[in-house]
Amino acid sequence: MDSAYWAKAHGAATHFPFALTLVSGALDATGFALAGRPVVRDLHAAGYWTMLLGALGAVPAVASGLLMTQGSLLGHGALRLHHLFVWPAFALLVALATWRVSVGRRSTRPMFAGYLLAVALAAGLMSVAGYWGGEMMVAR
Amino acid sequence: MKISAAIKPLGCAALAAVVALTSAFTLGAVLRREATRDSRQQPEVERWLDSGTPTSAALVAHGRTLFLDSCAHCHGADARGDEGPDLHDVQVSDRYIGNIITHGIPHEMPSFSKKLGAPEITALIAYVRSLK
Repeated sequence: MDSAYWAKAHGAATHFPFALTLVSGALDATGFALAGRPVVRDLHAAGYWTMLLGALGAVPAVASGLLMTQGSLLGHGALRLHHLFVWPAFALLVALATWRVSVGRRSTRPMFAGYLLAVALAAGLMSVAGYWGGEMMVAR
Repeated sequence: MKISAAIKPLGCAALAAVVALTSAFTLGAVLRREATRDSRQQPEVERWLDSGTPTSAALVAHGRTLFLDSCAHCHGADARGDEGPDLHDVQVSDRYIGNIITHGIPHEMPSFSKKLGAPEITALIAYVRSLK
């Protein structure tokens, strides 16, 4: 399959991890802020699964991107800028999902605050990566 | 939660991130190797009809200087390929090489139309042609 197909696949796949991570962070942050209320458990459960799906969704997004660029890991211009943010975001997203699964419900409040900060960082990295990805699509 | 119990999930997370990145980079390296192999195209009719760029030792030397300035960081100082493909024995026309240098390849190679004029591109083509 040619790179035009993978460009479409990448465009479709890449929005899932981004949206799911943002939603996960929002749900967990709301649960964190409403500590002690009955709804918190459900919010964290939803945050847990959306984070897990976001990390899983990052795999096809990354794979389709690599297929589209024929394996370019850095590249030039906008692609280089895109990659400089994508790789840390991908690693952080996988690390966050793994941490979440490992910890389960045993997390302390300060640890979870750190987790939320890391989710915000991952969302920020993905946003900038998405911006440069969008710039490349506009340049076409 | 005890400190040791807190470190274990962090270790798992770091390990998972390393595995994910290593897998992605390995896939990238495999795809790049395949793309490099595919870029060694078969001779085309255009190549046989092309009169070819006039060449000389001085032109090739000039082309090599330009290559080292503008191209070596991607194609390697020996043009054997690095981030960009190996340029030895390319089976495409001079016109094709000139077009690639001038216009670039979307998402893969930048355009050099602003940096290099026709004489420089001719020298670069002569240098690429000299790579056997």
